[in-house]
Amino acid sequence: MLARLEHEGLKASPQADRVTLIRRVTFDLTGLPPTPSEVDAFLTDHSSDAYETVVDRLLKSPHYGERMAMQWLDLARYADTQGYHVDPQRDMWHWRDWVIDAFNRNLPQKIATGFNRNHMINFEGGAIPEEYHNEYVVDRVETTATVWMGTTLGCARCHDHKYDPFKQRDFYRFYAFFNNVPEKGLDGREGNVQPVVQIPSPDQRRRLDELVQRINAIEKALPEQEIASLQSEWERTALSTVSPATRDGLLAHYPFEKDLADTSEHNQPGRTLSGKVTFDYGAVGKAAEFNGETQVELGDAGTFDPSRPFGLALWFNPGLILEMSLVQKMDDSKDHRGFEVFLDEPAYVGPHKRTSHIVVRLVHRWPDDAIQIRTKERVLLTSFRHLTINYDGSDKALGLQILIDGQPQPVEILQDHLTGGVDNGRPLEIGNKQTGKPYQGFIDELRIYDKPLVDSEIEKLFFNEPVRTVLLGLSGACAEMGRLQGEDKLADPEDPLAQQSRENTPAFRIKMQCQSEKDKLRDYFLTWAAPDSFRKVQAELRALRKQKAELDKAIPTSMVMQEMSRPRETFVLARGDYRNKGEKVIPGVPAILPPLPKDTPLNRLGLAKWLLDPSHPLTARVEVNHFWQIYFGTGIVKTAEDFGSQGDSPSHPELLDWLASEFIRTRWDIKAMQRLIVTSATYRQSSNLAPELLERDPENRLLARGPRFRLPAEMVRDNALSVSGLLNLGIGGPSVFPYQSPGLWEEMAYGEGYTAQSYTPSHGDNLYRRSMYTFWKRTVPPPSLATFDAPDREKCTGRRGMTNTPLQALVLMNDPTYVEAARTLAQRMLTEAGSDSARRISYAFRLATARKPGPEELKALGELAQQELARYL
Amino acid sequence: MHFEEEFKLMLTRRAFFARTSVGIGTAALASLVNPDLFADSPQIDPKTGGLVGLPHFAPKAKRVIFLQQSGAPSQIELFDYKPQLDKLHGTELPASVRMGQRITGMTSGQSTLPVARSIFKFKQYGQSGTWISELLPHHGKIVDDIAVIRTMHTEAINHDPAITFIQTGFQQPGRPSMGGWVSYGLGSDNQDLPAFVVLISQANALNVDQPLFSRLWSSGFLPSRYQGVRFRAGSDPVLYLADPPGIDQTDRRHLLDAVARINRLHAEAFNDPEITTRITQYEMAYHMQTSVPSLMDLSDEPEQLFELYRPDSRKPGTYAANCLLARRLAERGVRFIQLYHRGWDQHNDLPRDISLQCQGVDQASAALILDLKQRNLLGDTLVIWGGEFGRTVYCQGQLTDTNYGRDHHPRCFSVWMAGGGIKRGVTLGQTDDFCYNVVEDPVHIHDLQATILHCLGIDHTRLTYKYQGRHQRLTDIAGNVVTKILA
Repeated sequence: MLARLEHEGLKASPQADRVTLIRRVTFDLTGLPPTPSEVDAFLTDHSSDAYETVVDRLLKSPHYGERMAMQWLDLARYADTQGYHVDPQRDMWHWRDWVIDAFNRNLPQKIATGFNRNHMINFEGGAIPEEYHNEYVVDRVETTATVWMGTTLGCARCHDHKYDPFKQRDFYRFYAFFNNVPEKGLDGREGNVQPVVQIPSPDQRRRLDELVQRINAIEKALPEQEIASLQSEWERTALSTVSPATRDGLLAHYPFEKDLADTSEHNQPGRTLSGKVTFDYGAVGKAAEFNGETQVELGDAGTFDPSRPFGLALWFNPGLILEMSLVQKMDDSKDHRGFEVFLDEPAYVGPHKRTSHIVVRLVHRWPDDAIQIRTKERVLLTSFRHLTINYDGSDKALGLQILIDGQPQPVEILQDHLTGGVDNGRPLEIGNKQTGKPYQGFIDELRIYDKPLVDSEIEKLFFNEPVRTVLLGLSGACAEMGRLQGEDKLADPEDPLAQQSRENTPAFRIKMQCQSEKDKLRDYFLTWAAPDSFRKVQAELRALRKQKAELDKAIPTSMVMQEMSRPRETFVLARGDYRNKGEKVIPGVPAILPPLPKDTPLNRLGLAKWLLDPSHPLTARVEVNHFWQIYFGTGIVKTAEDFGSQGDSPSHPELLDWLASEFIRTRWDIKAMQRLIVTSATYRQSSNLAPELLERDPENRLLARGPRFRLPAEMVRDNALSVSGLLNLGIGGPSVFPYQSPGLWEEMAYGEGYTAQSYTPSHGDNLYRRSMYTFWKRTVPPPSLATFDAPDREKCTGRRGMTNTPLQALVLMNDPTYVEAARTLAQRMLTEAGSDSARRISYAFRLATARKPGPEELKALGELAQQELARYL
Repeated sequence: MHFEEEFKLMLTRRAFFARTSVGIGTAALASLVNPDLFADSPQIDPKTGGLVGLPHFAPKAKRVIFLQQSGAPSQIELFDYKPQLDKLHGTELPASVRMGQRITGMTSGQSTLPVARSIFKFKQYGQSGTWISELLPHHGKIVDDIAVIRTMHTEAINHDPAITFIQTGFQQPGRPSMGGWVSYGLGSDNQDLPAFVVLISQANALNVDQPLFSRLWSSGFLPSRYQGVRFRAGSDPVLYLADPPGIDQTDRRHLLDAVARINRLHAEAFNDPEITTRITQYEMAYHMQTSVPSLMDLSDEPEQLFELYRPDSRKPGTYAANCLLARRLAERGVRFIQLYHRGWDQHNDLPRDISLQCQGVDQASAALILDLKQRNLLGDTLVIWGGEFGRTVYCQGQLTDTNYGRDHHPRCFSVWMAGGGIKRGVTLGQTDDFCYNVVEDPVHIHDLQATILHCLGIDHTRLTYKYQGRHQRLTDIAGNVVTKILA
């Protein structure tokens, strides 16, 4: 270093003053400012290794791991959302905790496999699984090449590298290492994506083990063959024992198998007034589908007059958006006379998981002469639900009852004053836009009775009918299945990607339907018809499985790498396009680099060994260069992400080589490397810029002065919180939501029940966590951090920008976090620094900068204080 | 000492700041970049903050207003009149037309792909006789000012990659947006406002909106100062612009003066030009605190203008209000004004939802052109209107006489351009009878981007930034200027 300076005719700068030095090294090793007492301790320690003592203390601080992780999160493109399109939440914070801990424990390897799963993941409706799977693998290759080898191997995705000696074939051989994960192409709707590991608490672990054991024991004890033969015996006569729905008082029955026929003796078939009804698999055989344009009238079987009792039963599975009338018999006069079952504006409890209240109205004259009731709870409407409306003819709201899947629902009575008739001479309708909100979705097995239905009757509708339809083979799915056998070959049952690619085929749907019918049958048999002993065991098993499912949902997970036993095939893809498969390749490393060590397996373990092999020319150099960049703002090779021919040459090649060889010699001792750098004379130089030095070397490539650059985004905020005393120093855990301008997410989001679509700030202490724990939504990254050049983490980032903009000034002036920090600092001045204004100012100044103010500085701030005081007096 | 005098003094003192004394804002913009980090970037013109040597040739347009219709409006209902579809209505899309092209997972499982005609009528307008749908009656007034391209085509078949493609030139994330490239190349003509401003408005349609991503206005690998700044309706139009309660502009002035005093002491001691820049940025922020609210405050606009744009232009955050704002931004010399309007993804209930969308968009889009024209701004402002892809001629879901839906279609769609550098009253390109494939004059996304840059006086092959060892471009290795629509 000195030789280079001498060669350039420059001199190294003197050592920085002690205050500057402790502030510099404390930020660099922990991301935090030193406390005044830490500064004092250093200033009064006159031993020759006072500085080294500070360094060693800092390297032992748990915040060291956090600081090192900050750079690592950029490289590993860590984020809390999936990144593409809807961009809902994922949970990789366990991996983040692991990284912090690994740095603190000075583990030599940082390759927890979550690193390779931090890439963006997509499930946009209609996207093609192979297209996105290809992007995931490409991202792993590019990130690995950038982070560990400082190479732009990604340039060889479409063609041979233009500048560096990488062939396109090299790219795909490298790709093959990462192409063997049992994953889908489209995934991530509901958080973490397979493969994952569960991270149970000790208590959860114990409960899980216990449940698994019990479930396994019961499953083992169930005599499969005996059950199967008993079931098939039962099936032969089941139609006679699984009794059909009652026809007592039946006024109309629309099975919706293939048309609008009424199979009751009244025979009043429905007719389509507009649009078209289609028929698809439903709750009982086929069901009718309405698209919002379809309008159907069903005759006038039910008068729904308040003086007459009735029962209405149907299965329904509505579409996702908007409020809608399920069935209606309304007139369009201003009285709105009639009868209506209504689903109100949806609320979502998960991705596409609609809930609505169910509302029933009997109206003589709206709104003052009517009965209206509404379920107290919203009903989950993600699959077919069975609805019964009973009415006893009493003219009173209490005489109306709503049952879902046979269960009476608590209701609110919204109106209970009905004096006149309801009959309006109109037929019962579905989808009439004039008198209601048109229905979208499925309806099945609509029945009208002239009396309320009793429990045993509802039970038959809900339990028996679906099974009878399977026994009768009404849907035809299993029969069709037989014909399609050939078409429905599984590609590789172990490969979720191969499976997913088939999900869109008609054969797959038929297969799924047939399977669900078989399950339904077995379930019914084991619940109702099997011998007592089996039924009991079945009930227990069902309960245990439910418990396990709930527990599984509660246990946190983290995404990991995993290998399929039968490797997925890898091909060279012409122009990088997933559709253009060329030559088939096996895993391998770029030909220009040293070969894989002998006897290493051709998998990621082998690749890791190769990367960390002392003979690898890149890994150690690239890593120490990353470290150097932390301290000097710029690496010895400025283009940290590109050590290739198009990257910058190292400013000090011998230094780079020596640091790299030290790193290898110390067996990748990361802490020792940090110590080596921060105790060097180069690091400890003053950063004062002589004007001629600024001209000679504005970038400080020659290192004739100490480092001087703006704090990274996280530290800007952490510093303000720390100085004010607000900072919550807790380490690790789930991401948090500091203050953010309202609406930033919502204005761009998709909604519909997905996670991470609307922003709710955290409470209490969690507002003041270190910035690295801020929830990182890729499509709307944390605004105050992004303003200070924090990346969106869509891709691996090796170097951040370091801009100086007016938007940053606005954040510092007006972001509520900073306003609060300023206020709290002011409180500290008032309560901790006595009553003298100058003392208060000095106190705060020292908290903020580690040093005492100079006389001019004190004067400037004193005058400001007086000025402002005068305004408020 | 007053800030500006001090700053001018600084300029004379520091050869490093070899900038002309054109005012605070310009200097601020020009100094956003830390020279330490980006010294190997091409040289920056201190006057504009753009690159030295740009524009490459005399520009026709000085600024851009891009009206991105997010979700992809149907060309079949709006611009690409296909009377032949009446006869083909309900028939299966022939394999000879589809030619094995991939279609999305939303319709690839459909057993039939029936052709659906538009239920909306078309009419010829203006001297040019441009065909326009009855959904866009106000467009009738501007057809002689715009060039309709009916033969846009793209490579992506889903929203995320497609809108990323049209905005950044690549389907996958990580690249600078077009606005970022343009402000990197040309800098700013305004001293108090960002060069690249983003405005978002919400759907008029009832169905779910497509999400947006901040990557669409990101600076990608360019220095982050080139990213778009989102202006929002409400009291805080730019993030953290408003002073907190209890602080007024006098307090703020006092505070900034004191901070500047201390910063100057520091600058003296350390000679670090970054400190001087920081002082300037605080001043710029202070200026923005008054310039941006006055920009967003429409109360000085005459009554009839709100009528021109549609009365809901009075309501902040609507598409109409954003169009009006776009004109105000253009007037003030903002380089790239990027609007996003959500709600065009009509997979089902297309007739209902596209009607609602057009009600929200038609009049204000036309008004923007008329307004710009009336103020002599259209001549040097380039306006682009369009989605990220088109919609399929075949019906998604159930086809009835009154209702249908359309899936994503990458093989052809319509956009229009107007203003600086663009021919007036022309229609470019021919699609086939099915509105499926391009027959004549295809315009690829990269061609559109090359043309936009061309209007701004930029050779798209020479606007580059070195990243990952390569001189990266907005148009990658493709793109041809569409000379047929150039004036």
